[in-house]
Amino acid sequence: MTHRQIPFAFAALAGLALLGACGSGDAPAAADDAEVAATPLANGLTAAETVAARQGHLKAVGKAFKTISDGLKESEPDMAAIQAAAASVTFETAGMADWFPEGSGPASGVKTDALPVIWETRADFDSKTADFKAAAATLATVAQVGDIAAITEAFKATGATCKACHQTYRADD
Amino acid sequence: MPPAGSRVLVWDWTVRLFHWLLVLGVAAMWWTGEQGMMDWHRRLGLILLGLIVYRLFWGLVGPDTARFTRMVARPGAIMACVRDLIGRRHRPHFGHNPLGSLSVFAMLLALATQVSTGLFSVDVDGLESGPLASKVSFETGRLLAEIHETSFKVLLALIALHVIAIAAYLLLFKDNLVRPMVTGHRPQTDFDTPQQTLRAPWPRIAAAAATACAVVYGVLAIGG
Repeated sequence: MTHRQIPFAFAALAGLALLGACGSGDAPAAADDAEVAATPLANGLTAAETVAARQGHLKAVGKAFKTISDGLKESEPDMAAIQAAAASVTFETAGMADWFPEGSGPASGVKTDALPVIWETRADFDSKTADFKAAAATLATVAQVGDIAAITEAFKATGATCKACHQTYRADD
Repeated sequence: MPPAGSRVLVWDWTVRLFHWLLVLGVAAMWWTGEQGMMDWHRRLGLILLGLIVYRLFWGLVGPDTARFTRMVARPGAIMACVRDLIGRRHRPHFGHNPLGSLSVFAMLLALATQVSTGLFSVDVDGLESGPLASKVSFETGRLLAEIHETSFKVLLALIALHVIAIAAYLLLFKDNLVRPMVTGHRPQTDFDTPQQTLRAPWPRIAAAAATACAVVYGVLAIGG
């Protein structure tokens, strides 16, 4: 090997090593995961699609909550914005019952903060999501009336149902 | 030569008070953050904001050992300091030594990052947010919250380094650096050349404290 070739060979080797590193770690499991991830779950979606969908919806809820929370801090809240945000929460979470089918936990290989305990104590999990949906529906209704004190209370109650569930069923909390 | 037993003020009382309030404050912020006690986290965060603003202002107008321009060391001085450490030679320094100054600048930068990102942070559920978070979008607030989390890890690492360094001075050089941070004084004989005692004039303390209060008040007024 001549002197000039060495850097090229080295760069090529380094590149290959990097490529290899991308796959290493969970490489042996990747094939299995891919298969598992591609199998449709009870909701008709794959695990990856399910996780992406519920994360998308929940991010939209977070965004809507910030709009409401910001609005309630104002001396003259933008009522229309609060009402729209409250309505969007019930809209975004309409299909929540189908968001957590069996096989959409971390064991699927898809990156998710949903903890396996969801499927171990499913009845409790379902009752907690039902609590949330009821609170969110109340919030949307109260928002239409436009009384700040009532909205503040309903918003707090809704937030409490989020926390009650996330505490047990979401990682990193 | 000064008379034996004479002592010289190394750290003025406001720097010492700042230091120990910061120790309590950072510990409390860690605890309230981990426990999700966000009401207290926000309140204490505003106090820490005031403390940091005070210290930054004091770095501009305070006495020698607090002043940033006196703490900036040339690379040569830093390297000499490293060589002394490696050679286990210890020369007490009036105020921060060049390496210590670097550590202080790094910690102040990390703390400033903590309080400023915290002001705008939003939690993933959009339920908890810093006092100025309503001025930024959900996405920006989330990004700043991620930085808030990461920079806290950096801050913890810097604090660990700081504590290890203090312990090393005590064990290797039998130099207790904690005592002067409590009493403010060191024996004059610690230094090669006699040092002037520090002055922390009241008008400057008042100006720094007023600036700190004004910033905190401004945040409260904007954020509501």
